[in-house]
Amino acid sequence: MEILKAERLVKIYQDNGVPVSALNNINLTVSKGEYVVIAGPSGSGKTTLLNLLGALDKPTEGRIYFEGEDITTKDKNELSKIRLHKLGFIFQAYNLIPVLTAIENIEFSMMLLGISDKERKEKALALMDELGIKELANKRPNEMSGGQQQRVAVARAIVNNPSVVLADEPTANLDSVTAGHLLDLMEQMNSEKNITFIFSSHDKNVIDRAKRLIILKDGRIDN
Amino acid sequence: MKLLIKLAWRNIWRNKRRSILTLAAIMFASLLAIAMRGIQLGTYDLNIKNVVELFSGYLQIQEKGYNDNPNLNSSFQVSTNIINALKDTKGVSGFSPRIYADGLISYKDESRGASIFAIEPGAESQVTSFMKNVNKGKFFSSDSSNEIVLGSELLDNLNAKVGDNVIILAQGYDGALENNKFKIVGTVKFGAPGMEAATVIMGIKTAQSLLAMENHVNAIAIKIQNIEQLKKVKFSLAGKIKSSSLSVLSWESINPGLEQLLEFSNVRGIVFLGILFVIVAFGILNTVLMSVTERYREFGVVLSIGMPQIKLAYLIYLETFFITLVGIVLGNISGYILNSYIVHHPIMFGGELKKFYETYHFLPQAQSSVQFSIFINVSISIIFISLLSCIYPAYKVYKLEPLKGIRHT
Repeated sequence: MEILKAERLVKIYQDNGVPVSALNNINLTVSKGEYVVIAGPSGSGKTTLLNLLGALDKPTEGRIYFEGEDITTKDKNELSKIRLHKLGFIFQAYNLIPVLTAIENIEFSMMLLGISDKERKEKALALMDELGIKELANKRPNEMSGGQQQRVAVARAIVNNPSVVLADEPTANLDSVTAGHLLDLMEQMNSEKNITFIFSSHDKNVIDRAKRLIILKDGRIDN
Repeated sequence: MKLLIKLAWRNIWRNKRRSILTLAAIMFASLLAIAMRGIQLGTYDLNIKNVVELFSGYLQIQEKGYNDNPNLNSSFQVSTNIINALKDTKGVSGFSPRIYADGLISYKDESRGASIFAIEPGAESQVTSFMKNVNKGKFFSSDSSNEIVLGSELLDNLNAKVGDNVIILAQGYDGALENNKFKIVGTVKFGAPGMEAATVIMGIKTAQSLLAMENHVNAIAIKIQNIEQLKKVKFSLAGKIKSSSLSVLSWESINPGLEQLLEFSNVRGIVFLGILFVIVAFGILNTVLMSVTERYREFGVVLSIGMPQIKLAYLIYLETFFITLVGIVLGNISGYILNSYIVHHPIMFGGELKKFYETYHFLPQAQSSVQFSIFINVSISIIFISLLSCIYPAYKVYKLEPLKGIRHT
């Protein structure tokens, strides 16, 4: 089942008034449950593409369809709702909210959905248990290692059962062992929960595990 | 919601030093505003009480139009209805009939204009306090004797002394010129040189006889138990008096000069408080803006995970509200302690300031107040100004694009 479709995507940035082409005529379809890695050298447009697919940015030209709906015509409030209900994000720098504990960080996106305190807590604890991070529940980000923080970030990304999780260089700040464990976890979520994962990465560990690899070069798909 | 409150509260304490400084600024602004307002209102009440209880009374019953155009013809009889109305009105603690007239006082070769002020000594002592200000001789005890008390300066101007007889000439109620001989039994000080140079106080029956007024009076001065009940008592009394030609006036109408002076001072105090609040508002704006700008990246992340911009703006308001609330609570506590101290230990003035205050019949001291309304008004004003000052930071957050936030360094 097709979940994401990009048609003739073009993204041009203005750099001091000079137009710079970041993506050029990208056509891409992602199906439900896929485990996709977008790879390529720095500046190839990986993050730009991920941002467009994640409704964080709008293309200069082209269309993006999410579950059959054109999201390029949506306003910021509608895009915010799509991100909240349908998408999960994992960032390179973890980006947990520093003043909240691990469990509160996971609860945060559920709070935005208006889920009750009790239900949020139960759901967050169950997920933490499943991901093997229950003992981190009351720790704040500065009390956790990078790997632990990224596991919490994964939990935050998947707790609302999103259709797609977008992970931007999720292993870039981790050592190879920790990165391996994290990737195991995401593979597990992909196979067990059928969550679609789209990565942008130039980490060999991530690329080697890709079930589908898309290589970007100079803003174009190269494979 | 609980999590958002928790987040807002913890965000405040991320940068402890900055938050404590902001909190201290709000606390001191509240304290200063409460202390200033307390001293202002406390001193007003003291001075109103002093001036009103010294001479005019809190309320007066007069013929309509008398206050704007005082003359002997605007007089009335103290009827049973009026006396019953005064006795039946809750909050009235005393009343005293009065006559005001103009005349000429002569002693040997000296003559001076005289403001004749006639009273019933027994009733007047229940309403005002000037009878206690006798500085020479005594006060007359009967309202029908030919004894009079002069303003202390008038006695000097006439080159007379206590015990001397004087002649008073005045136009009576019937238009004819009347005169009589009176004995000076004492002098009184009001604290106002103008009054001391012209006032002649005599018994009300003596004045009625001199001015051919029979049993008419120009006013009834009234004392009330509690100044805060002034409007209620006035309204109640006016409803009980069944004469359409009489009106009940409050001290503001009887002493428009005093009311204007206090009003001017009140406005000046409010303007000063306004300036203080504006300074505080800019301090809060600076703090909130800094705290927002340094968290752009974090805001970008929460926006990207689907937090609506409006909720983020709400978070900024919650944070500002919390820090303001803590500052206000501390400011209110310290303000209450300071104001209570001044209530029990008034600040006494000396030198020129003392003379200035006495010129206006004011006590040369600063009093304070712990009126609930002071605390409420100051708190509401500071909360309002704080929330107003975070409109711009909240707007910036509201307009923030998730990607711009994430990329912010």
